[in-house]
Amino acid sequence: MSFLYAATEPVVRLTPQARILGAVLAIAFMALILDLIRRDKLLERYSIVWFLLGIAMLLGAIFPVLLEWLARAMGVRDVTIALFSATLLVLLALSLNFSGVAARQSKQITRLAQQQAIDGVEEESEASELRD
Amino acid sequence: MRKLVFIPAWNEERSIEAVIADAREHVPGADVMVVDDGSTDRTAALARRAGALVASLPFNQGVGAAHQTAYIFALRHGYEICGQLDGDGQHPASEVARLISEVEAGADLAVGSRFAEDANPDVPEYKSTFARRIGQRLFSLLVSTSTRQTFTDTTSGMRALNHRAMTLFADRYSSEFAEVESLQQAVRAGLVVREVPVHMLAREHGRSFIGPLTSAYYIFKTLIVLLIGQLRPRQVSE
Repeated sequence: MSFLYAATEPVVRLTPQARILGAVLAIAFMALILDLIRRDKLLERYSIVWFLLGIAMLLGAIFPVLLEWLARAMGVRDVTIALFSATLLVLLALSLNFSGVAARQSKQITRLAQQQAIDGVEEESEASELRD
Repeated sequence: MRKLVFIPAWNEERSIEAVIADAREHVPGADVMVVDDGSTDRTAALARRAGALVASLPFNQGVGAAHQTAYIFALRHGYEICGQLDGDGQHPASEVARLISEVEAGADLAVGSRFAEDANPDVPEYKSTFARRIGQRLFSLLVSTSTRQTFTDTTSGMRALNHRAMTLFADRYSSEFAEVESLQQAVRAGLVVREVPVHMLAREHGRSFIGPLTSAYYIFKTLIVLLIGQLRPRQVSE
C-alpha cells in the first residue's frame, strides 16, 4: 500500500516535550476518571468511553508512529493536524450522543412531572369525595 | 358531553381567581382545572380555594408540557371536549365558549384569533407592539404556507379541542413552540382546524418578556421547527 503515500514526504511530528506533556495529561486524565468512577460521579456506561479515550491519548504519546499512521491514513502530512481533527471528530460524536441523552431524559422528566401533577388532582378529588 | 376548561398558569396569583370565576360563569357545566406550571407564588392555593381542580407540575416545564398535562388528564377521565384559556386574564371565557361550540359543531380544533377579519367590532382592536406584529405576521405566513390553510393568529393559546385532537397532542406535543407547531401537526394529521375570530384583552398584570431581539430569535427558531415539522412522519389519527 506504500504507493498511496511517498515515504520521503516530510512529516511534521510531535516534539518530545509535547509527547511528555501528552503522556502526563493522559495519565492525569485517567486518574481523574478512575477517581470519579470510584466516587460514583460517573455512570459506568460513559466512564468506559472516557477511559478508552485516556488510553488512546497515552498510546499516542508513547508511540508516535501510531499518530503518523493516522496522519497518513487521513492524507495529511502534519501529525498535529491529524491529532486535532481526530480529537474534534470524537468530541463531536460524544457531544451529539450526550445531546441525544439529554433530550431523552428531558422527555422522561416531563412525563414524570405530568404524571405526578395528574396523580395529585386524582388524590385531591378522592379526598374531597370522602369529605362530602 | 363532559367538558373540561383548563387554565395553564405560571405565577398568576393576581389574576387566577378572576379567570376561574369567568370560566365558571361562561362555560356552565364544565369542570375547571388549573395546570399550575411550577408556580412559586400562591397560584395553586388560590385556585384550589376558588374550587378549581389543580394539577401542579413539580417544576416549571413550559407551556407545552402544561397543555399536554391537561390533555392526558382529560383523556384519562373521559372528557370529550376541552377548552383552554390563559391564566393572565387576557382571554375572556365567553369567547372560549364560542370555540367550544365550534368544536361541538364538528371542528377537531378551534383556535381563537385576535387578528382574523370579522372580530367583534364593538371591542377595540387588540394592541400589540410593532415587533410583535411583524413576528405574528411571519409566523402566520410560515404556518399558512406549510399547512395550505390560512392562520392569522398562530400563537393564540385560546383553544378548544375534541377527543381526537387531544389524543394527537397527548402522544406528542411541542415543548417550546406548542401553539405554532401544534397547528401544523394537527393539519398534517388530517384534523379539521378552524380559526375563530375572537377578542382578547390587554394584559392586566405584568408585561410580556419578549423584546425585538428575542422575537427575531423566535422567528428563526420557529422557521426551523416548522421545516422539521414538514419532514416528520404524519401522525395517524382515527
